[in-house]
Amino acid sequence: MLHERTRKVLALALAVVLVFGLFTISGCKTDDGGEGGDATGEAETIKIGVQTALTGPLPDYGAAAKNGVELALEDFGTFEMDGKTYQVEIVVLDDKAEPAESGIVAQSMVDEGVVGVIGSLTTGATLSAIPIYAEYRIPQISGSVTGPKANADSVDTFYRTCWSDAIQGEALAAWAIELGAKKVVLMDDNGAYAVGLADVAEAALEEGGVETLRQNCQSGDKDLSAQVANVKEFAPDALIFTGYHPEAGLMRKQMIEAGLGDVIFMGGDGIKSAEFVAEAGGTANAAGCYATFGGFPEDQQPGYEAFAEKYKAKFGEDVGPYAQNNYDAFGALIAAIKAAGSTETEDIIAALQDLEYEGVTGTFSFASETEGAVQRGDIVVAGLTPANVPRYVIEGEDWVAVE
Amino acid sequence: MTAITGRIRSVTAPVRAAFARVPRGVYSALGLAAAAIFPLLNVWGVVETAWLRVGVLSLLFVMLSLGLNIVMGETGLLNLGYIAFFAFGAYTTALLSSPKFELRWPFLAVVALSTVIAMIAGFVIGLPTLRLRGDYLAIVTLAFGEIVRLTIINLQDFTNGPNGITGIYPPRLASEGAIASLGDAAWAKWLTVDKPIEYYYLVLVCVVVVAILLSNLKNSRVGRAWNALREDELAAVSTGITAARAKMLSVVLSAGIAGFAGALYAYYSNVISPESFLFMQSVIVVCMVVLGGMGSIPGVILGAIVLQALPQMIREAAGAARSEFEVYRMLIFGVIIVVMVIFRPEGLLPDKLWRSESHEVDPRELEKTRQSLFDLEEGEKDLEV
Repeated sequence: MLHERTRKVLALALAVVLVFGLFTISGCKTDDGGEGGDATGEAETIKIGVQTALTGPLPDYGAAAKNGVELALEDFGTFEMDGKTYQVEIVVLDDKAEPAESGIVAQSMVDEGVVGVIGSLTTGATLSAIPIYAEYRIPQISGSVTGPKANADSVDTFYRTCWSDAIQGEALAAWAIELGAKKVVLMDDNGAYAVGLADVAEAALEEGGVETLRQNCQSGDKDLSAQVANVKEFAPDALIFTGYHPEAGLMRKQMIEAGLGDVIFMGGDGIKSAEFVAEAGGTANAAGCYATFGGFPEDQQPGYEAFAEKYKAKFGEDVGPYAQNNYDAFGALIAAIKAAGSTETEDIIAALQDLEYEGVTGTFSFASETEGAVQRGDIVVAGLTPANVPRYVIEGEDWVAVE
Repeated sequence: MTAITGRIRSVTAPVRAAFARVPRGVYSALGLAAAAIFPLLNVWGVVETAWLRVGVLSLLFVMLSLGLNIVMGETGLLNLGYIAFFAFGAYTTALLSSPKFELRWPFLAVVALSTVIAMIAGFVIGLPTLRLRGDYLAIVTLAFGEIVRLTIINLQDFTNGPNGITGIYPPRLASEGAIASLGDAAWAKWLTVDKPIEYYYLVLVCVVVVAILLSNLKNSRVGRAWNALREDELAAVSTGITAARAKMLSVVLSAGIAGFAGALYAYYSNVISPESFLFMQSVIVVCMVVLGGMGSIPGVILGAIVLQALPQMIREAAGAARSEFEVYRMLIFGVIIVVMVIFRPEGLLPDKLWRSESHEVDPRELEKTRQSLFDLEEGEKDLEV
């Protein structure tokens, strides 16, 4: 037993080391928001917010979105307008993909005085930010919010550069039918994104005469045995998991453990992450899982090759999910500022409505009104059909495009 | 060890004696003045609005920990599901004042109902659990907190499940007609609370009211009954205290304060979702009470401010890496708590009774301590040298 004094001194020393260690760790990571060029003294700085989720369940999607914006900052971050030079400064805030946190982040963006926001990352989190941005008249462009009901109130401040799940859901259903499924389980995580995608897919499946069963779990669940038991009883040909990869991987793993490895495992853009393989318990478990995505196949995106090269050079890894859509979102926002000839948010919103932008993913504009499955602010691009939704399958460690 | 602290004490004794002569009310007044002036720093442009938001959240947590202090500090019951009462208040407010059911009840009615519903929840959970003691009570309340959260997630028709309730209307302190009739009067704007500074003052007033109420209660018969129950239930009962009633009062009252804080939180944050009511939040409030000093109202206030504002300060200091900081927040909490438990188990600003209990005293020192305690009570001078 140590002397009491020694113990106290040790405890204090340990605490000091931990706290200082912490500062060193965080100190190493302060290379955020790399400025594009040498900002001259005369440049006027404008702030653009990046609302993403760097912590929480989806840090991989969040990092990809941030990387996409950082690349765009290098390319479009300094621009001339009316003989004046403008320098964009990005304000990155983390909403953890949680609705409540997203509301706080949106209010902080208002406090920061941003002229526009790229984000947020997930449909569920965006729902609570949309009314705040709409109230304070700040234009918001998301590169990854695919939920079909994201902009249910048709506000004029919300835009997105990814495809709505209204299209992806139909594509998932069509693919399941092509694969010969007669009985399909749809499973969501009760979140806005997953429920929206599952609703669309379920309707399309039922129209195609497929028998369906709906199951759900919660984000963060670790035990899905109840759902697995229900699936086993229903004995489906395929299961479509419309949530995100942490629970999807777990579901795949627990289904295999329960002897349901033969059931075709499919999902939307939420599972098409490199993390899925590890979460499913390795390549053997993940092999043969299918996923769709909310955008054109990469070889149909005109600027993709050049973008992927730049991305790899800067970040040393392959393009993450929706990085190019976020790149385009930033580009479109800058284009709108230039078209408006003003940094007033009201002018930018007006400009966004008539904007036609040539980005990495194609030449697109934004829908001016809600009509059927298309909501106000949705991306409008030629060839936006379920047949064009890209399909991926896991081979080894990677998601590979299916012909 | 004792030699060193003894020497330090002998040096600081005159200073401490001088401070001891300042009436407690002066410190309270100074603290209140600082809290009232803080938002003006934002108006003058010294601090950013983000800090004002930290201030509002800190005040809300002050109220929460004041509430938890009643059961934990005064009555000595460990409640690990305290955040559930906060959730009751927040969801009641969200349902009565949001587009969800197209309702917009008056502010006072919403806050009152939120408080009452949380109190009813406290009563219902108190009925079976107050028969339990110590660890068992902690386990049952922990389960209660989780049940409430999972119910919120699954009661989709009412709560929107994990997506939460969005677009909660800002509180109006007068009726719509009354505000409209004031026209363009400058202060008419203040009646609709929708800016951080307005929320700050609204919450500050509520916190002050709660703190005054509680400090009076602490010194009343009820407060002494709670303390007696905490110290020795058997002895307390034999002096004529009805244990069940006194405990129930403390649980219901603390639930009511949490419901009140929840109502203000829902108004302030504009969005609420089940992630705000995790078990971790309950633990943080417990940490605030323990860190500040169980049973001590100024201590608990300080503890809440330190634990809520400190992470933000470090986050700001870490600059651009602020989103990564979140990962280490809990680590720092752990370090702070470990250090506190070793060096100052009674908390930052301890309650007199607690302080005398939490240090094991060397028999040779006992007489000295007793003497100094006696002197403190008498308000003479600190004889301990």
